[in-house]
Amino acid sequence: MDDYSIVGKRIPHRDAVEKVKGSAVFTSDIKLSGMLHGKILRSPVPHAKIRNINISKAEKLKGVKAVFTAKDVPLIKFSISPTWADKLILADKKVRYIGDEIAAVVAVDEEIAEEALELIEVDLEELPAVFDPLEAVQPDAPLLHEAVEKNISKTLSMECGHIEEGFAEADIILEDTFQTQAQSHCSLETHCCIATCSPTDEVNMWVNSQAPHPLRQKLAAALNIDAAKIHITTPVIGGGFGSKIDLEPAQALCVLLAKKTGKPVKIEHSRKEQFIATRMRHPTICKLKFGVKRDGTIVAKQAEVVMDNGAYNSHGPAVLAYHNVMFSTLYRVKNIKYEGRLVYTNKNWGGACRGYGDPQTSFAQEVMLDMIAEALNMDPIDLRLKNANIPNEMTANAVQITSCGLKECLVQARDKSEWTAKKAHKQKYRGLGVAAMIYTGGGSIGSGFNYSGATLQMNADGTFHLLMGALDIGQGSNTILTQMAAEIMGVDPESISLTTADTDTTFPCMGTFGSRVTFCGGSAVTEAAQGLKKQLLESAAEMLEANIEDLKMEEKKVFVKGSPDKALSYAEIGAASFYKKKKPLVAHGYYNGPDVPPEFNPVTYEGYPAPALVFGTHLAEVEVDPATGKVEVLNFVAAHDLGRAINPLLVEGQIEGGAVQGIGWSLMENLQFENGEIVNPNFHDYKMLTIKDVPKISSLLVETVDPNGPFGAKGIGECAMVPTAPAIVNAIYDAVGVRIKDLPATTEKVFQGLKTKA
Amino acid sequence: MGSKHQIQITVNEEEYDLLVHPNRTLLDLLRYDLGLTGTKEGCDEGDCGACTVIVNRKVMTSCIVLAVEVDGATITTIEGMQKGDALHPIQQAFVDSGAVQCGFCTPGMILTTKALLDEFPDPSEEDIKHYLEGNLCRCTGYTKIIDAVNNAVQLLK
Repeated sequence: MDDYSIVGKRIPHRDAVEKVKGSAVFTSDIKLSGMLHGKILRSPVPHAKIRNINISKAEKLKGVKAVFTAKDVPLIKFSISPTWADKLILADKKVRYIGDEIAAVVAVDEEIAEEALELIEVDLEELPAVFDPLEAVQPDAPLLHEAVEKNISKTLSMECGHIEEGFAEADIILEDTFQTQAQSHCSLETHCCIATCSPTDEVNMWVNSQAPHPLRQKLAAALNIDAAKIHITTPVIGGGFGSKIDLEPAQALCVLLAKKTGKPVKIEHSRKEQFIATRMRHPTICKLKFGVKRDGTIVAKQAEVVMDNGAYNSHGPAVLAYHNVMFSTLYRVKNIKYEGRLVYTNKNWGGACRGYGDPQTSFAQEVMLDMIAEALNMDPIDLRLKNANIPNEMTANAVQITSCGLKECLVQARDKSEWTAKKAHKQKYRGLGVAAMIYTGGGSIGSGFNYSGATLQMNADGTFHLLMGALDIGQGSNTILTQMAAEIMGVDPESISLTTADTDTTFPCMGTFGSRVTFCGGSAVTEAAQGLKKQLLESAAEMLEANIEDLKMEEKKVFVKGSPDKALSYAEIGAASFYKKKKPLVAHGYYNGPDVPPEFNPVTYEGYPAPALVFGTHLAEVEVDPATGKVEVLNFVAAHDLGRAINPLLVEGQIEGGAVQGIGWSLMENLQFENGEIVNPNFHDYKMLTIKDVPKISSLLVETVDPNGPFGAKGIGECAMVPTAPAIVNAIYDAVGVRIKDLPATTEKVFQGLKTKA
Repeated sequence: MGSKHQIQITVNEEEYDLLVHPNRTLLDLLRYDLGLTGTKEGCDEGDCGACTVIVNRKVMTSCIVLAVEVDGATITTIEGMQKGDALHPIQQAFVDSGAVQCGFCTPGMILTTKALLDEFPDPSEEDIKHYLEGNLCRCTGYTKIIDAVNNAVQLLK
């Protein structure tokens, strides 16, 4: 392992001090002079034609400044990409789910805006609605988007090798169906934005977006204004987990209402709006067929997937592709077939949610592997080791693996959990379950873009300022990116000041998602820092009249090796660059990769060019109460191959947070719909884990140094909840022999399973 | 809406005489009338604990408390934790333990921890979990928050 002085150290979040003092400014804390408040009228029904909207009473209410309907906004559809655009800022002809935006009000305060919403008269003609994706593809099902046949937004079909020949080779074949449910992101901070807009469309926006640079482009397209006129600033952001990547209708409305009134406008979601009208994890139905040899070799695997899109696309098409690429890339299987359909239903729409389709595919595949292990009378970890990916190999679906520590993760998790001893002396009602995972480190270039930029400059006093397109939403990128720069410049990371994700002053970054910031932002920062270091040495060489190769950097000084007494301080070099040479030292770094090979299939993601691949193993120990079916997670081991850990303290934070989000999804979290209506849109009825519910979590960092990552780093954020659910469900089976195939594994389901067994 | 009520409260050792609407919540009073935006609104239904403040030594979710109900009370918000230049030991422990990620739940977590340690200077893990059960966190998985409380206990000794 290389010897670094700052990279690899357990350094607390650099923003933590402001946060513990309560002085960190989040979007909702900002109050501008004359600021007005916007509210949105949402559809109360799942599917209807809009016959008429009467806003006259609302407009007359004292304190109301404007009321907008579809007539007042551009009717330009948007989505993650123009190809999939299907959503309007305000519905014009019909509404497609309970929560769809119909009208917006801006008033002097929130109470008046809310009162005005109640005065808007909407005449709706209800249409038949469809909530089940299997019913939605039937010929007589109501259509959400008239041009989309059978409500199928996207079909994905892939075959690698020869699936039937593969099954012919198999000694046993297993088939089963697995289902996963909707999960809400539940970042504690709801969506909020504040905008000003001049009559000539100069826009200033403060917004808690995970992807401010793409948001600028999407806003520009949806509002038909020049992107260069839009300036987006991101205050401190209170978590995202994928929920804050999209363009939100509220953001576009905020700009339009600000332009109309000439005042700053703020729109903040209530918690209920957050549950019903921001994205969620796509529910899936995944039918699997696996063919296996007696020795455990998987010779063929096949998936038939229906993904419930909800009313609009958002990230759906890419999430389905990711569901496939993760299913197909994990394990060394030669013959693979995948058939997927993304289906519209009259419900809230799915989107990016931690893991991006991978937790869904992992649940199906990893429970299936447990069933195979049982059928073969084979240890589940041995079965996975038998089929585990290895470094520097091209998979059947043409994905190039570079570094790979999957086997190490499996072995280390087995040892840490005392798997072998506990399996040999099994206690009644207790069980152990394991699951493996793969994900991409460094985001995705599936869209053709995967960029992140950095600028590092030396100030006149010899300190440094880093400008990053990437932003910290709580995961700690501000800390680790300055660690990387500090390692190269030989300074304390705290001394590097920082500007992040300001669309006017920083190079663009795709945003914070896809476990990409460490890799992509880190690549940009290291390139900028290496460039600045070179400039610094060149400048010092000139001042010292020495050769660069003879120079040494130490303790913020540069000197000729062997002559530390004649050192130049960074402050002297900085001052000289500004005031004598009149050429300040500044260097840029920009990542956009990897290159997309011509073989890449943008629909199926076959030949997917992953920047890096990360692997992991979760291992759960549970106890089941036989009287009630209640599952308690006693111990949890999470081993992750994340490349080099730039900051183990922060990595553990990602793993612990991800595992707990995963346990929540496994056992209780479920966004429940009745006739299209979410019946638990609050933290009282939508159960997530509290501090009382968390087990002891052991994080194991398997640091396979990646050849392409900055300092060998790959990524961790999304990965940490991918294999949690199957590990727990497999442990429940080991404990009491109840096989849960549809999440969540509620107390009631386990109890019913125990009853059926008895 | 009704007429405004006169109330007198002490917030972070500062006395205030205020005229408030009967439907003004303590949370809105703190955030919008007094500018103490460290207290956060996560749900507005008393479920998440982000708006936790200490009222007369007891923790309350300020989003479901009316300002008129706390007339005469002494209130501590996150802005009142630090005395002088150094962070309060609980704040320092949260920083050092890696218990802060996005930071939105942090003020509420810290104030609940303060109420806990004021009552039980040496709490068991059960005590910690019992007290902090009403404070939701989506980022950390709580593990490092428990570490932070234990570290705060040591720093306060």
